[in-house]
Amino acid sequence: MIWTILTQQLINGIVLGSFYALVALGYTMVFGVVKLLNFAHGELYMVGGFAGFLVLSVISGTVGMGWPAVAISMLLAMIGVGFLGVIIERVAYAPMLAAPRLSILITALAVSLVLQNGALALTRGQYVPFGAALGFGGLNLGPIFISNNQMILVGTAALLMVGLELFVSRTQYGRAMRAVSVDKDMCALMGINVNRVIAVTFFLGSGLAAAAGTMAGAYYGSLWYFMGFLIGLKAFTAAVIGGIGSIPGAMLGGLILGLLESFGTLVPGVGSAWKDVFSFSVLILVLVFKPTGLLGKSEQERM
Amino acid sequence: MRDAIKALATGTLLAAAFAAPASAQSGLTFGILVPTTGSEATYGQDMANAMNLAIDELNAAGGVLGQQVTTTVGDDACDPQEAVNAASKLASSGVVGVVGGYCSGATVPTLKIFGDADIPFVIAAANSTQLIPANPGNAFMINSTGNDQVAKAVEFFESQSINSLAIVNQGDAYSQDLAQLTRTRWEADGKTIAAYETVNKGEQDYSAIVTNIRAANPDAVFWTAYYADGGLLIRQLREAGYQGVIAVGDGSNSPELFNIAGPAAEGVIAFSNPIADFLPGAAAFVEAYQAKYGNAPGPYAPLAYDGAKLLAFAIEAAGSAEPDAIIAALKAVDYQDGLAGAISFTDENTLARSNFIVLRGQGGAWTLAE
Repeated sequence: MIWTILTQQLINGIVLGSFYALVALGYTMVFGVVKLLNFAHGELYMVGGFAGFLVLSVISGTVGMGWPAVAISMLLAMIGVGFLGVIIERVAYAPMLAAPRLSILITALAVSLVLQNGALALTRGQYVPFGAALGFGGLNLGPIFISNNQMILVGTAALLMVGLELFVSRTQYGRAMRAVSVDKDMCALMGINVNRVIAVTFFLGSGLAAAAGTMAGAYYGSLWYFMGFLIGLKAFTAAVIGGIGSIPGAMLGGLILGLLESFGTLVPGVGSAWKDVFSFSVLILVLVFKPTGLLGKSEQERM
Repeated sequence: MRDAIKALATGTLLAAAFAAPASAQSGLTFGILVPTTGSEATYGQDMANAMNLAIDELNAAGGVLGQQVTTTVGDDACDPQEAVNAASKLASSGVVGVVGGYCSGATVPTLKIFGDADIPFVIAAANSTQLIPANPGNAFMINSTGNDQVAKAVEFFESQSINSLAIVNQGDAYSQDLAQLTRTRWEADGKTIAAYETVNKGEQDYSAIVTNIRAANPDAVFWTAYYADGGLLIRQLREAGYQGVIAVGDGSNSPELFNIAGPAAEGVIAFSNPIADFLPGAAAFVEAYQAKYGNAPGPYAPLAYDGAKLLAFAIEAAGSAEPDAIIAALKAVDYQDGLAGAISFTDENTLARSNFIVLRGQGGAWTLAE
């Protein structure tokens, strides 16, 4: 019996962790390249959810409401929100890059408030049913049940992460991104178009958040203007656990946080009310023994 | 200096403006204390509308003690500080009694002000158990408290021969209070609490809790918090194959629940304060409200309407508009004509019977379950 619960919680944790990881990747990429904690990132997840919903409501007449339609919506939402991320960077962050770190952090909070309240004004605070029809099928392994939706979600997230890893490690832009994260000024001297590299980074990070937002809308069934807030905080935590600035670290951190939260509800004697205490205790332990996070590298010149 | 004169002039004008209604009136004035601004303004305005409708009807029928009734509104903005200002304003404007109180937190600090001023206060909607010890004796609660909801819930579960219960709350004062009261009462009846879980507001994924509940396999799950997260929990419980009874408290009786949970909300039970649609005698009220204000009455309109009528009834019974006489009449009141049912009070000035009703989700809307 206990093994059944543990296995089921393992599955829950992996699903939850996939969402955290996708959002954490945007945090960590942006931090790696421009050293900015983009606090508006959680809001891009929310905007991504709504963008996916808009696309879905336009195309559902021709392609239905199932996973293929959600996949198309997700891709278009990723592209749209990717460009939104680039615009935000150009309008709000680029003029501030030379300013003190604190100014740009406050700008990021402002962008977050603008997006959140914009969505509040447009939706009047109402919950919007996403409307995807994904079905209830799944795989029964004895007492353990894995739904098709969970498998598709985790598979898609894994695919996106592998794609990102390949992009960063194998392509010219990926190499440029890694170089910019090491030394921006030197890259400019070597003829790398730093601004374009930063734009590509924001595009990819925002696109991944939008992918998570659309999948969350389809999977959980409704959208709300405030839905990006908590996952933004959690994903930031995940990025810190894994080592902020490190792409494999964000994936690992997301997965670990998802698993901690699932298993945290089982801690004997205290139960679900204390699950966050449990996961944040682990965060503190990680930071005590490895201040740069699990996969982070220490660099003297950074804060 | 010029500013000082301006301020003085404005002050005098304001004082004159406030004094005017009190001196120009020959009839009785009822005070209305509701939030008409801020996040809860929709509910407050709805309550004020219902009270004005009740008073129009009273005046058309000859007034109270043969005098016409007027109203003056104090806006508490659902904020304790604003509420103190609003209550002081009402207390100094010569009202014979006050009806209102929507947010419990904003209503608590007004109790002392109305108590010191010796003004009868009918609390129409606010129903926290914190109001009971803070009451100096002049306030009367016509909405059932959390204790009554628990009684109704336990009674319903037992009528469905439910033996094991899972309770899920959200860790805030309201939902934790309801969860804890239910747990104590349920265990006192010798029944089992199969799971007692807490979730965070705004978390979308409740799969870990759902797995634990599925493993404990209770006959019923009771969600004590608000509809937003409740809708998601219901959906995830049903998707995971939970087939027992799902019940929600009065924070989740919003129709929005159906938007969020979708078809999973079919058959969900809600304990709710009396909503006009489900009250047998409220059809005429709903029609009159609709005709006067152009929209349907909100969830607390019947209670606000009852509150104004109750105050008038008590004044007539006392035969005078003296505060002590009205308070004595309210203490002994046995008012049978309330939309939400008969009103009489316990020794603590709370409603003597529970006014909670049981609703069931059917075809994307609430229907009366019993």
